[in-house]
Amino acid sequence: MRLKARSVQNTGIPTASMADIAFLLIIFFMVTISFEVDKTSVTLPETNIRLEIPKQAAYVSITENGQIRVSSGEEISVPVPGPDEVLSFAAGVVQADPTKPFVLKADKEVPYQYVDGVVDSLKQAKAQVIYLLSMQDTVDDGGDGDESGG
Amino acid sequence: MKIKKPPVSDEIPTSSMADIAFLLIIYFMVTTTFAATRGLDFSLPPEDDTPPMVEKEEAVLIEIQSGGVFVVDQQTMQLSEILDYLKPKLERNPKKPVIIRPQPDAQYGYMVNVFDELRQAESKIGMKVDNISIPTQREIEMFWF
Repeated sequence: MRLKARSVQNTGIPTASMADIAFLLIIFFMVTISFEVDKTSVTLPETNIRLEIPKQAAYVSITENGQIRVSSGEEISVPVPGPDEVLSFAAGVVQADPTKPFVLKADKEVPYQYVDGVVDSLKQAKAQVIYLLSMQDTVDDGGDGDESGG
Repeated sequence: MKIKKPPVSDEIPTSSMADIAFLLIIYFMVTTTFAATRGLDFSLPPEDDTPPMVEKEEAVLIEIQSGGVFVVDQQTMQLSEILDYLKPKLERNPKKPVIIRPQPDAQYGYMVNVFDELRQAESKIGMKVDNISIPTQREIEMFWF
């Protein structure tokens, strides 16, 4: 009796679904990507209370050495020389939209006098709410999660 | 002599599809930045409000010095002790004003730590600190002197 020849085993790795997986990943990245209006590199302070900041909020960032950048939330941030320019910027933003929230993105090591000048300008411009941008505080074993005493 | 033609494949070549897709993935992975989109809200008084007149002596004054030294009503204390100090005062007067006054050379991070601690009063001591103010230097000069 003549035996039927065995079917030939395919030795290649099946790669047909590779493109599907890759395109799924692409869709994930495309959906989650968000374009930041302010890319200033700062070390944010840590807090336990962290509320979601509304989209399209205006940004004021202060670096460790006191450099200030502003953005109305629609375009990339631009540097400004000092708090007086923040006041004129904020006044323009509030005039266009009185309920516009402001986000203060300041380095945790910046001396408070720089922050004071910016907050004062925002108050004078009649801003209604300021969000202090922060990172999630890590809870230590002690449970209270603070970093008191420096 | 008849030349045999090679068979023409009737399939769309998809072998390079994965390469293109992975290139796109690498592009998105490199350009993606995880933006910090959360923070502490700090509501400012409405425009038509007259500034609340608070006697300095009636309020709890938290001064923040450089290096994270917290002086509460002239007593140096740790951040975690502030709420315990405030609790009996809040029990007597739930509207007790608390003023945060960082020194000009104090680091901003410590002000945020104090503000965050006061905002957590409800979960930590069961009482809310309703009246927190962080006056600016200009306001202090205008209203305190």
